[in-house]
Amino acid sequence: MTQSTRRCSSNHRVGKTAALCAGLWLAASAGAQAPASAPAPSWQQGRSGDQNSSTLHPIAPILTGRPASELPIDKLKVPAGFKVEVYADGIPEARSLALGDKGTVFVSNRNLKDVYAIVDKDGKRTVTKVLKGLNSPNGVAFNKGTLYVAERHRITAYDGIEDRLDNPPEAKVVIDNLDPSNQAGHFWKFLALGPDGKLYFNVGAPGNIVMPNYQQATINRVDPKTGVMETYAHGVRNSVGFDWDPRSKELWFTNHARDWVSDEMPHDTLHRAAKKGMHFGYPYCHQGDFLDPEYGKGRACSEFDAPAAKLGAHIAPLGMRFYSGSMFPAEYRNTMFIAMHGSWNRTTKQGYNVMRASVDGNGKVDLKPFLDGFLTDEKADPPMWGRPVDVLVMRDGALLVSDDYNGIVYRISYRR
Amino acid sequence: MTALRSRSARRRAGRWLGGGVLAIAGGAAALAAGTDAQRQKAAVCESCHGIEGRSTVPDTPSLAGQPKQFITTQLVMFREGNRKSAIMGPIAAPLSNAEISELGSYFSVQPAEPAGKPLAADAAAATRGLADKLGCVTCHGAELKGQQHIPRLAGQQADYLRTQLLGFKAGTRFDMDGNMTAAAQALTPAAIDALASYLSSLR
Repeated sequence: MTQSTRRCSSNHRVGKTAALCAGLWLAASAGAQAPASAPAPSWQQGRSGDQNSSTLHPIAPILTGRPASELPIDKLKVPAGFKVEVYADGIPEARSLALGDKGTVFVSNRNLKDVYAIVDKDGKRTVTKVLKGLNSPNGVAFNKGTLYVAERHRITAYDGIEDRLDNPPEAKVVIDNLDPSNQAGHFWKFLALGPDGKLYFNVGAPGNIVMPNYQQATINRVDPKTGVMETYAHGVRNSVGFDWDPRSKELWFTNHARDWVSDEMPHDTLHRAAKKGMHFGYPYCHQGDFLDPEYGKGRACSEFDAPAAKLGAHIAPLGMRFYSGSMFPAEYRNTMFIAMHGSWNRTTKQGYNVMRASVDGNGKVDLKPFLDGFLTDEKADPPMWGRPVDVLVMRDGALLVSDDYNGIVYRISYRR
Repeated sequence: MTALRSRSARRRAGRWLGGGVLAIAGGAAALAAGTDAQRQKAAVCESCHGIEGRSTVPDTPSLAGQPKQFITTQLVMFREGNRKSAIMGPIAAPLSNAEISELGSYFSVQPAEPAGKPLAADAAAATRGLADKLGCVTCHGAELKGQQHIPRLAGQQADYLRTQLLGFKAGTRFDMDGNMTAAAQALTPAAIDALASYLSSLR
């Protein structure tokens, strides 16, 4: 270090001296990397040099939620014959949805610490916070009276919770230590009950584009009776939406591809996992046919299982469910609803809607918009006023859609 | 550019929000912004953060002109105990989401004033160069007035900025997404001082 640089370390707080010292600091440290103890945040990881001044950034939810009365709900569009309305508001950062045996809708969040319950009783709908103090409780699933919650680090069970929403039972741990490395990115978990009675959940890749450890970039399942866990699918960068085809009982899931390649590449994807042990490519191959510029060297996409469909670059497919109800027209049955949380890593934004995906006899996937109108200006920041996260088929056949930006759950119904 | 887009976005949002308040902020009229009810609720805050959120206390931040989403996010994080503060934790603890939202609306439309003194032109230019090089503007906006959940730095109390940057560097300041913790690692104390003085002087 030069003498003048050293002099600058004394306490020059104001004005010219400090600025000149800053200039020296800059000269002295040009090209220096931040210490390894604080790497770039996971969403920035993998940027190339000319992207370092990019103004693209993930969109933060409004953590207080916004009352539906303040929002342009009338701008939402659904196909003819369908109707969209607000089912409940005041659920900040509403993320995943699960339906209780007695009709309670459980709603999770990710940056907050709670699980909410929406109860329809005697013609009155109430929203209450039923669980508090959790650690990124993004995943919720329900089976035979028990609510399961996937936090960052564990999955817990709340037996008989619907009978005592005012005084919920203590959490029983199904499995713990799911995040031993306290990973920086993709630590939130989606949770769903499989046809085998096991709980399925993701462990995401710890960054944008990094080599995952043996437990990461996977979909796993745990038997809630025994706590025994096994990895079901590999090479899945981050899936926060999956469901089983009611006919074949095969697992389908959405997946987010890496960021910071380009506006158009690679696509986020929809996958079918017909059996345990498939590998879907991350970090080597994205969208089934795009070798990663770094990790793809010496690999081939043919080594991996290809996606069922490309959904759009950065479009961020989250919740996905097969439509198993009978309210909607017959052609809707067994097709998938996919909530597109919407792109951030793209100069022209897309998504922020719910799409319907149908698969023909040859496995070709057709996508149609189902719920639209959140996106207001694809070049603005933010470009939208709401963001769909999860979809849930209710017993009457209506579809609920959560919106974490506003903390609202919408209901879509159909009348012929 | 980002800041401009953000302001226009906020103005558009203001129309949905029934936001006469926001419209006033956009105009030149020096009418008092905010409703009487908001003003009453904000009185507790103003006892430390200054009239209309323009702080005169070195280590207490100005709230005037901060993006609404920044104010509400921080209050929620104080309430939930993610951002730790012996002072703000207890104050935020009883606040409802609606109250937090009201406070955000109120302070976001108050006119900001620089807390610091103007710097000599060459000193300002040198530190601006540093701010550009560090990439402050990519998130905080070209005029460093913040956007969405990202705070306004322009005109903020220098001591407060210094405390936050040192906290980020030490890894002790709450950081929702790790951005500032990473950004602060490369900063020397001299650079932090220079940035704090410069940002504090901005209008």
